[in-house]
Amino acid sequence: MKKLSLFTGALLFSTLFYKQNIGLNLTLFSLTTILILGIYNPIAFKKKRTIAFCILYIITAISIFFYKSTLSIVANCVAFFTLIGHVSQYNSSIYINWINGLYTFIAGFFHRNFSVIENEQKVKPNKTIDYVHWTKIIGIPMVVVIVFISLYKNGNPVFSNLISKIDFGFLNFQWILLSALGYYLLYNISTPIAVNPATEIDLKTGNILKNSSKFSIENSKKENQLGVILISLLNLLIIIFLITDFTYLLSSNDLRASIFSNQVHSGINALIASIVMAIIIILYFFRGNLNFYRNNKTLKNLSYLWIILNIILVINTSVKDYQYIYYFGLTYKRIGVLIYLLLTIVGLITTSIKVMKIKNFWYLLRVNTHTAFTILIVCSVVNWDKHITFYNINYAQSMDFRYLNNLSNNNTFLLKHYCDYLEFKGKNNRLVNKKYNNYIKELNDRNWQELSYDNFKLDSEK
Amino acid sequence: MKTPLIILKASIMATCIFWTILFSRNFESEMVPFIIVSFIPISICCGLTIMLTIYPFFKLKKDVESSMNIFKKYFPFYAIFSFGLCLYGSITIPDIICFFASAFFTTMQTWVWFGKVKGTTN
Repeated sequence: MKKLSLFTGALLFSTLFYKQNIGLNLTLFSLTTILILGIYNPIAFKKKRTIAFCILYIITAISIFFYKSTLSIVANCVAFFTLIGHVSQYNSSIYINWINGLYTFIAGFFHRNFSVIENEQKVKPNKTIDYVHWTKIIGIPMVVVIVFISLYKNGNPVFSNLISKIDFGFLNFQWILLSALGYYLLYNISTPIAVNPATEIDLKTGNILKNSSKFSIENSKKENQLGVILISLLNLLIIIFLITDFTYLLSSNDLRASIFSNQVHSGINALIASIVMAIIIILYFFRGNLNFYRNNKTLKNLSYLWIILNIILVINTSVKDYQYIYYFGLTYKRIGVLIYLLLTIVGLITTSIKVMKIKNFWYLLRVNTHTAFTILIVCSVVNWDKHITFYNINYAQSMDFRYLNNLSNNNTFLLKHYCDYLEFKGKNNRLVNKKYNNYIKELNDRNWQELSYDNFKLDSEK
Repeated sequence: MKTPLIILKASIMATCIFWTILFSRNFESEMVPFIIVSFIPISICCGLTIMLTIYPFFKLKKDVESSMNIFKKYFPFYAIFSFGLCLYGSITIPDIICFFASAFFTTMQTWVWFGKVKGTTN
């Protein structure tokens, strides 16, 4: 049963992907992988977390069917590795899941092959494959069936007609090679592998920082003094920066795109440098004994203040980005800035929790990678092209039509709708119609493996 | 098993994978003699790759750890790195996917052969 599922999966793999673009095939392949994982690892699928990762994986698979965007494909791959990694070890961190998942997917066969060799050195193999027998039970019936088919073909025209209708045209050597690759990949993921010692170390490492035996009050006092002076100065610097930035923001009436662009991008650059430094400096001072030093309250309060000021800097940049979007419309870069700012706020909050509750570096890494994963999944289910087009046409003060037209086909129907009901300029109308016609042609030319939601939408409109 | 024998096996394996993929695209009987000729550059590539990227793991660490432990410790990261490189190469230059595919699978199997070796590796 298990081997049969792998074999069927391999045939399905080449049927789905041989000379096909991405579409329904990746969604179906995702469901196949879940099925195979479930058959081989029934115990894992009784756990709630596994089911949750499975649901996330299915969500990304469905979003590929709906939008077919690069982001949804990336999210699908990440969710896939996370699920496999989780099945290999239920309690490991998400970044270890990624390593385990990726390793299992690409080299599980070789790892297990090595493990078999290792076991062979300990115990004698009790089972050998009888190749002659397998050749007999596959080869002889096949030859006999072919002989009888050729005999029956001559005796019955209906049967002959039926046989001639069977088209094995899709079968060729490349197709068979792709099936072999499918078998290799499915065999790899059937029994997920934990990469050691990385997984073992991860399981042993908790989130709480422990007091080291080399605790010296004198050294802690000196370090505390250095920290207080340094973070005080940095607080002062960021306050001056924020005051000047607010003054400029309130006094400036210049609405040129280039000025806004410069402000947002330089603000982002300042943010990246500032926040990376903030986290590194805080991690350095609170890496060990200073957490347990009795007189560290001033340093802790200064650190919280610095984190709050950095959050204000993030909010300030968000306001600039929002204004930029309001006047000049949404773009992927501007949305990317907002997502980066969201991640930054989460990073700063988790850093303050780290200081407050005496957590270690691994806590930061675990929580932040989990957050990044969640945001990736959430972002993958949004049809960004459609939202960008909708917002820019309806709400933005000015619009770059060429940008909208150059987006993926996810906004084609919406653009066509506006083209029919709003009056675009003649040249823009032509561009939209050209994009629409090309897309309709592409949809009609698709094979069943490449189908997406738009195919069904088109059918219902006909 | 001695290292030269592993290199020979790896070269044969790489040649087989390389030509299998190449023939799956386009088979011409005139290309068959090139299989033998191609064995020379493939062997050189295999030898260099094995000696520079796999052998040092087993040579440098063999006094401290057994081959099995070296395999378990370093192979996963080597596999991930190797996969990344080969995938990048295949995307950048799709025409020579057979080279990257044979390189990936051969290096993976070579690790298994080295890991299997008891005692010395040379």
